[in-house]
Amino acid sequence: MSGAEFLQFAAVVSLGLLSFAFLLTIIRIVRGPTIPDRVLALDMLVSIGIAYIAVVAIKTSFSLYLDVAIALGLVGFLATVAFARYVQHRGLKRKNMPSDDRETKQ
Amino acid sequence: MNRAALAIILALIWASITGNFSAPNLVLGGGVSILALWLVRTEVSTPYYFKKFRLAVSLTLLFFYELALSAVRVSMLVLSPNLKSKLKPGIIAFPLTVQSDVEITLLANLITLTPGTLSVDVSEDKTKLYVHAISVPDKQALIDEIAQGFEAKIIEVFE
Amino acid sequence: MIEEITSYAAGVLLLAGALFSLIAAIVLLRLPDLYTRMHAASKTGTMGAGLSFLAIALTAFDGPVILRAIVGFIFLMLTAPVSAHLLARAACLVGYKPSNLTELNDFARDRSD
Repeated sequence: MSGAEFLQFAAVVSLGLLSFAFLLTIIRIVRGPTIPDRVLALDMLVSIGIAYIAVVAIKTSFSLYLDVAIALGLVGFLATVAFARYVQHRGLKRKNMPSDDRETKQ
Repeated sequence: MNRAALAIILALIWASITGNFSAPNLVLGGGVSILALWLVRTEVSTPYYFKKFRLAVSLTLLFFYELALSAVRVSMLVLSPNLKSKLKPGIIAFPLTVQSDVEITLLANLITLTPGTLSVDVSEDKTKLYVHAISVPDKQALIDEIAQGFEAKIIEVFE
Repeated sequence: MIEEITSYAAGVLLLAGALFSLIAAIVLLRLPDLYTRMHAASKTGTMGAGLSFLAIALTAFDGPVILRAIVGFIFLMLTAPVSAHLLARAACLVGYKPSNLTELNDFARDRSD
């Protein structure tokens, strides 16, 4: 197998693995059980998305995809920071409600 | 003075990333850098950080090495079949020796990237760093490991 | 010749990156609580995306593209611990409890004083 062929093969296999990872992460987003869990899973989804775009960039050898991946990284970071603030503010208001202790039952 | 030097460095980074060293692009980069520095507001002192350049480089290398190691170790841990018996998570209070904000930030980031530990919060008087660890068989051993590893190295670079 | 070697290296990096991402996703499903899951997402997940960036840097024979890939890699490495730390801090302050396996909790102890 030549280098270019191996690279194409690796790209296809990586796309498959990443798709599977995508699916597992979405299961976690749906199952929750709390908001921070979902935020964490969304953060994970962004980094899988970055990896996905990077693989597509190599497969098509179209380097503009790299900028897309970097922009997604920036947006994903800001989104997580904003979500963390949201978790903090929302939680303080409903601190005494018992429903926030659900995750300990796992 | 510091800010002007920093703005020029940032403008050069801007130009090299966009891959275009023409005058209008450099001016645009400079404008963006000044705007960004104005937004940051607090005084950033650059020359201080470059005093011990070689130590700083070795710290950076350590950072990447630890990151790779931690990714592999965490993967090995979670792929083992009887997972629940191996987990022994806990949040410990790590007594800080370093005092300045920069050092604490750096230490917290390095701790997050080491295998099995994650920094959670700094106490208000900056004397304790709360660290979540994925398995704590011995609390004192973990504290010693951090104090003699990363913290010692950071003190070496900054003092 | 050099292109052959970099292609093989980039392919291996891509596969390793995808594998790390998959492991991180499995961890999200298997571990019991938010704080332990965060270990995997902040380290292994970032490693996956970071390795893909390095693979781009290896395959592109073009100065600015390589530089951008490396800058993207560094950016990912710098932001990952920050976002993990912020989320853990927010969850801890609000009082999301760690799982029952957790024996030691200095944070909760100090807060309750």
